Amino acid sequence: MCSISWVQILSYVTVVICGVGIAVKVIKTYALPIHLRWELYPIPHEKGFKYGGSYFEEVDWWKKPRKKNFLNFLKFLFIEILFVRALYHNNRKMWYVSFPLHFGLYLVIGWLGLLFLAAVLSALGLPAEHALILFLHGIATVLGVIGFLLAAVGCVGVIIRRATAPELQGFSAPIDYCNLVFILAVVVSGLTMWLVADPRFLQVREYLTSLITFKSAGPLGPAMTLHVVLFSLFAIYLPFTHMSHAFMKFFLWDKVFFEDDPNLKGSSVESRVASVLNYTQTWSAPHMHAGGTWSETASKGVKDEEK
Amino acid sequence: MPVERGAKLHQRELKMKKNKIFLEDICDPSIQMADIEPEKLMPLPYPYDTPEAQPAIKRLTDDQKARYESDLDGFLALKIPKPETKEEEEQLVKKFLEGLKKLLSRENNWTFLMPLMMSLEYCAKCQTCNDACPVYVASGKQEIYRPTYRSEVLRKIINKYIKPGGKAFAKFTGNEIDLNWKTVARLAELAYRCTLCRRCAQACPIGVDNGLITHELRKLFSQEMGIAPEELHKKGSVQQLEVGSSTGMSRQAFKDIIEFLEEEIEEKTGKKITIPVDKKGADILLIHNAGEFLSWPENPSAFAIIFEEAGLNWTLSSEIAGYDAVNYGVWYDDAQLARVAVRHAKIAKDLGVKKIVVGECGHAHKALMVIADRVLNEDLNIPRESCLPLLEDIVINGKLKLDPQKNNFPVTLHDPCNIVRLMGIVEPQRKILRKIAPQFREMAPEGVKNYCCGGGAGFAIMPSLNMPDWRSSVSSRMKFKQILEVFQDVIDPGIRKMVCAPCSNCKGAIRDLLEYYDAWEKTGIAYTGLVDLIVNAMVDIEGPFIEWPDEM
Repeated sequence: MCSISWVQILSYVTVVICGVGIAVKVIKTYALPIHLRWELYPIPHEKGFKYGGSYFEEVDWWKKPRKKNFLNFLKFLFIEILFVRALYHNNRKMWYVSFPLHFGLYLVIGWLGLLFLAAVLSALGLPAEHALILFLHGIATVLGVIGFLLAAVGCVGVIIRRATAPELQGFSAPIDYCNLVFILAVVVSGLTMWLVADPRFLQVREYLTSLITFKSAGPLGPAMTLHVVLFSLFAIYLPFTHMSHAFMKFFLWDKVFFEDDPNLKGSSVESRVASVLNYTQTWSAPHMHAGGTWSETASKGVKDEEK
Repeated sequence: MPVERGAKLHQRELKMKKNKIFLEDICDPSIQMADIEPEKLMPLPYPYDTPEAQPAIKRLTDDQKARYESDLDGFLALKIPKPETKEEEEQLVKKFLEGLKKLLSRENNWTFLMPLMMSLEYCAKCQTCNDACPVYVASGKQEIYRPTYRSEVLRKIINKYIKPGGKAFAKFTGNEIDLNWKTVARLAELAYRCTLCRRCAQACPIGVDNGLITHELRKLFSQEMGIAPEELHKKGSVQQLEVGSSTGMSRQAFKDIIEFLEEEIEEKTGKKITIPVDKKGADILLIHNAGEFLSWPENPSAFAIIFEEAGLNWTLSSEIAGYDAVNYGVWYDDAQLARVAVRHAKIAKDLGVKKIVVGECGHAHKALMVIADRVLNEDLNIPRESCLPLLEDIVINGKLKLDPQKNNFPVTLHDPCNIVRLMGIVEPQRKILRKIAPQFREMAPEGVKNYCCGGGAGFAIMPSLNMPDWRSSVSSRMKFKQILEVFQDVIDPGIRKMVCAPCSNCKGAIRDLLEYYDAWEKTGIAYTGLVDLIVNAMVDIEGPFIEWPDEM
């Protein structure tokens, strides 16, 4: 254990903080109380998704079995997250720079994932020349190079666009530029590592193997050390910023826009609603009758003096 | 002092000229943030494509400006009196911050906490939503009408004044906003410059909902500070719960109107119909927007004719709020929303009906069927459905004898946001129109991508001061453009054409819009509801059921 370097320790800390940060965010979101329905059509799991239809289009809809098309939902997520379709349709100028940035980062995540998988197989005893490891590594190399390049180009593009487009200037704070520069530093350091130190990402895989096996990684060299440090710091920082929209937008869709579960008798929605109706509200306007439960508030009228 | 004032005036003129209004300018008492001038608005198609064709916009009087805080854009939805003392100013800010804390708390705002928190937290400020907003685009792209403007101001206030340590790095994090009474008053007024159509949310690549943030701001002002437009609260939901209707219609007046409708139906169609009221054990409780009884009585009459002809077992209610489907709470106040919804459900329960059917009223659809779905529990959870699929069933399955040739004039369909984008009821009304209107044509965009009528979120029923001019010239402008475009090939005023709007508030907004632009005279465009067109096509009704403006 004593031979483990400070960079490796940083990597372990990163995994813990990033993992816990994301988990806390997700758990906190799930723990929020049920909210009133606020859906927005089209909803991918609905039968009428193509034109935006819902089960409300049917007479006596509550008597009919509800079918959710989960495949359509996944298809929507896949296209929307990977290709930022809404941006493509609604803000093409931004898409030209935002898409390479996002897609590049997804490729980088894929690069890391595949190298990690290869490292796991290697740690499990598969020889380095095994076809599966070579295959995974080969794809990872392609994804990594394209990913770093795309993300770097996209990031520079987004910085330029933020700084020059009048509609973005007024809404961009120093921290927004800092965040982008941070991403740029991560991907440029990755490119530098690839160019000057590790053209086939073999060292990266070895480093990942060392993390999995808790063995010394050996000297990494300045380019790789810089990249690992920047990558780690960014991964620690990400869950605590609005940049976590990358994964949290799933909840905006799934839990708000596409959340059209009706409150049917005997359903879980009904029991959750019963629970929140017992919350006590303390709003101060006279007509609110502060101090009562929401259930009591809903049953009360408004007296003359409270209007 | 005069030099300083002169400099401020110069600064103001410069900003207005360049339309260079920044987020932090909302705190600046020296400027009016926007000025709506007809020539700067989004151009309209023929015959409104010249400066002379733009109606003048009513301005506030000096007295009104002196009494109320009006330098957001020179229009007033709220009429917030200017504070007279420093203490009053501070009180306004203090109460706002208290309300903001409640808005972000579980117990006080379980109703929308998750959507609100997520929309506040994850905006990437890419401005993709801007061009989806009809108010922003139609206004000539006024900075303050960007869907992101009020949201970002609120976000900055929360980051700086509510989050721990928010003031420490305010400049670096971009939260350098100063909260003063002016900011609060302008933010309140700005919450009433959005129709809550949620096109912005639909365009967002992340799913951020600026419409929701506006809705939550309105709630904060109403539920904590007691600030809401009189038409929505005192004369709206409060009056509905006490008198029976936001129109002020009493139970007796309602019963008198029903008698009048029965006479009208007989006189107009020869059909002797007894409209069922408070019929225990009926299958259906039909609830109309009470505005229909007063402004468009032919609409509830048409429902009665269709339902009777189709042999439905139905009833209206004469109970307080039972004859008015509106629920203004949906736009500004969760408590009022819940109270009206609970009242509607109790009436249905007492009548022992199998379901509630909502008439042609968009926000009533959404309030009772969608939003209140998680308020009405257990025995109050009476099934609720839209009139549109029921009408589709009647029309498509041949329960009425119809002759489409009786509707042989150009007809287009307006999609009420609440029914279509926010509920997914898209096809039933189209199937009906395809069957009964041979010259039916779609606006662009249509369906869930439609544009709001401009009367959404309460604007249709807020006639105070110069708000109607703002509505017709700005928030309804995109809809007017769509209507004109869809009828360009038949724009000659000699050719009568119809906008079908199956929603009372949309109908009201379109009525005012057409009047504002003198559209009947200049283009021959009129408006009506869906049931009116259905009855107009009925074979066994001799004369035309719908009336064109020149026949009234």
